[in-house]
Amino acid sequence: MNARLCFSSFVLVGLISTVSAQQAPKHIDLSDANLRVVESTVIPIPLEIFASLDKLGTQDWAKQVKAREIKLDANRSRTAMLFGLVVSDGFIAVQAQDKEAVRRVGREVLRLSTSLGVVDSVEQHANAIVSAAGVGNWSVCRKELDKTRQTVLKKMSEIRDEELVGLVSLGGWLGGTEALAAVLKQNYSVEGSDLLNQPDLVKELRKEFDSLSARSKRGKVFAQITRTLEHLESLMRTDARGVISEGKVIEISLSTNNLVAAIYES
Amino acid sequence: MRVDSRLARRSVMIALLVGAIYPARAQNSSEDRSSDLILPEVDEAKLTAQQTAMRQLVGEERYVLRESSWGGEIASGKVKLVQAQLFKRNDYRFWLAVPDRRAIVSLSIYDGRGEQVEAQIETGDSTNVSSLAISPEQTGVYYLRIALHGELALTQRWSLIYAYR
Repeated sequence: MNARLCFSSFVLVGLISTVSAQQAPKHIDLSDANLRVVESTVIPIPLEIFASLDKLGTQDWAKQVKAREIKLDANRSRTAMLFGLVVSDGFIAVQAQDKEAVRRVGREVLRLSTSLGVVDSVEQHANAIVSAAGVGNWSVCRKELDKTRQTVLKKMSEIRDEELVGLVSLGGWLGGTEALAAVLKQNYSVEGSDLLNQPDLVKELRKEFDSLSARSKRGKVFAQITRTLEHLESLMRTDARGVISEGKVIEISLSTNNLVAAIYES
Repeated sequence: MRVDSRLARRSVMIALLVGAIYPARAQNSSEDRSSDLILPEVDEAKLTAQQTAMRQLVGEERYVLRESSWGGEIASGKVKLVQAQLFKRNDYRFWLAVPDRRAIVSLSIYDGRGEQVEAQIETGDSTNVSSLAISPEQTGVYYLRIALHGELALTQRWSLIYAYR
């Protein structure tokens, strides 16, 4: 047994090595036009960020669970944003371990995906969310929410609704950021506020949003999105001390909250 | 206990297999231009990456695999960069794979200023998969450098998946 263990350890050590200079350059010039940066951006899910914050201490996620009424209209771009927001609400409810809220999200996911014409692909995930929430199986809820989000993005690409894909992602990021900023505002710490250091990600989101056609940005709320993203890009940048100040956290919380409210109410 | 662990691994494997199968539009032939048939297609690169990741997705210290991934095509001798937002205090693990077992891939990571960041690199029993583990000291944007080595004539499809804990 011990010999096997030693052998396994030896193999493992042999397979693991720290990055060394001979394998890759120590420095890369990010402004080098010859370097091919893959265009697609993977947006972090709220739970990924919450996981980091929870390592600093228990947070009151239950306060961030909201039951907002969704009034659907014919604007598919708004529906796509709402879909992203609802999925992020689901992640927040999972973090708060709120069974009823997760089930409500599952039902809203079905309603919104029906409106977007992708319900067939989403149905099994939405049902799995509702069932798992009923028995408090949070890891399944989390997995199914991520699958729901990914399935919708994939399905929309297939039906050539590429523009809506970006809006679902943007909605999801916005919902998670709103909750994160609200928690940090209540319980500010320099360490925790570091999680809002996302200017490059906001820049990418803004670039993608700006590239959407005018048709996809019809409605007053979309002008507000442009303004808010510009504002957030400067707010979500650390100062000379490498810190995002409490004042900035409050401002991020206000801006994201106003925008989310505007999307729901528009 | 061992049965539970085996069952958990099997469930993860099935879930991963399902994740690597995606519907793709069939190529329209000249005989059937109106065809819009959806056929299942396996992303072999992603499947290879997921199979390698499986070991890290079970147990007490398991990582949580994200459904999202990056992918594309790369020629031998070429390099690509992938941008990722990482958060301090989390541990991350990335898996890069191409389907051809003769291929040699490498993975390294840089911060937002282009400086290489120390990370743990793990290669399995095959050179067409590489894994990198990092616990970022700062929250921010990082760049993963993907390289394909070896004398392969054909461009390879690649997939990069990641998990956090």
